[in-house]
Amino acid sequence: MMRTLSTLPQLIMLTLLLCALPVVSQAEQTLTAIPGKVMAPDFNLPDTSGSMHSLSDYRGKVVIINFWTTWCPPCREELPSMNRAWHTIEKEGIAMLAINMGEDEDTIFIFSADYPTDFPVLMDQSGEVIEQWPVKGLPTTYVIAPDGRIAYRAIGSREWDDAGLLDKVRALQQ
Amino acid sequence: MRCIATVSLIVAMPVTAGEVTRSVNAENGLQGWHFTDGDIEIELIQRLPDQTRALLMNHKFSRQVIEQMALSCMFQTIIRNTGQSTTNRVVSIDLTEWRLLHDGKPRKLLMKEALLESWTDADADPAAKLVVRWGMFPTQQEYLPGDYNWGLTAYGIQPGSGFDLDVAWRESGALRRGEIRGIVCAPDVDKLK
Repeated sequence: MMRTLSTLPQLIMLTLLLCALPVVSQAEQTLTAIPGKVMAPDFNLPDTSGSMHSLSDYRGKVVIINFWTTWCPPCREELPSMNRAWHTIEKEGIAMLAINMGEDEDTIFIFSADYPTDFPVLMDQSGEVIEQWPVKGLPTTYVIAPDGRIAYRAIGSREWDDAGLLDKVRALQQ
Repeated sequence: MRCIATVSLIVAMPVTAGEVTRSVNAENGLQGWHFTDGDIEIELIQRLPDQTRALLMNHKFSRQVIEQMALSCMFQTIIRNTGQSTTNRVVSIDLTEWRLLHDGKPRKLLMKEALLESWTDADADPAAKLVVRWGMFPTQQEYLPGDYNWGLTAYGIQPGSGFDLDVAWRESGALRRGEIRGIVCAPDVDKLK
C-alpha cells in the first residue's frame, strides 16, 4: 500500500524537489507533421535593419519561421534556444526567421538587450502577414520544406537546440 | 527555478473530474489553479488589474477600455496537451463551452471577438487591438502532444470575486468536462494589503 504524505511540510518539500528537476530538458520536444502539401504563404517584410525578406527568397532551403511578440512569456522563453540552434543549423544551410507581430523597431531593439538573437527578426507591424498564416496563438513556429510547403508546426515554446528536434528539421533537406 | 520560487503551497481541491491543485506564488501572493485530466493540463494564474492596466497603457486604448479590461477578472491561462507523440491524441478546446458559476448563476467567459467588435477606433486603435487579438486566449484551438498555449482569459466579474469554472474539451473528438471550484479573481490595488 502506498504511504501517503500526511503533513504540509512534507508536501512542500516534495513539491520543491519535483520542481527542481530539469523538466524542460526531459520533455519530449515535439514537432507536428502537417499532412498533404499546404504551401506556406509568401510575405515581404523588413527586418530590424531595414532589409527586406521574402519567403520566396528562401525557396530551396529549409526555413524555420517563428511568430512572436516581446510581451509573450513563452516567446521569450524559447528565444535563447532558437539562437543556439541557429548557430548550429546556419552552417548547414537552414534558415531561421523570427516574425515579430505588431511591435516597432525601438521596442524590439530594447528587448534584444536581454534576449539577443543573431538570426533575422522581421517586423509584421500591421499584423497582416500573421493573419494569412494558420496561427491561433503565440508563439507558433513552422518549419518550411525546400519546396515551400509547411512541413511541421509547433504551438508553444520548444527547446530548439534539442538534437531530436533538429534531426527532424535536417531530414527535410534530403 | 521559477517553479521553486512560485509554488509555496499546494492544497488538494474538491473536484468532480480530473485533479485540481491550488498554488500561491511566494513572491507576489498571486494564486493559481492547475487542472489535469487525461491528456489535458489547464492552468489559471491570477492577474492583477494593475498588470492589465500596465500592458494596455503602453498601447492606444481609451481610459474606459483599459478599466473595462482591468476590472474583468483576467487570468493568465495555459492549456497543454501532455500526451505522448506515440499516441498522437488531439486535444481541442472551445472556450464558448466553458461556464463560470458566480452568485449562483452560470455565465459565459468574455470572448475577444465580442470585445474587439464592441470597440470603436476611438476606444482602441488598430495596433492596440492586435494586443487583445493575440494576447487573449484563442477561442478555439487544437493541440497535438507537446503543444501548449498561453493567453489571457476574462470572466467579466468584479476583482476579488469567487467562482467555480466548468471546463470542457475534446480528446480525439470525445467531449470531456471537468470542474475547478473556488477560483478567486485577483483583487484590485485598493484591496491589496
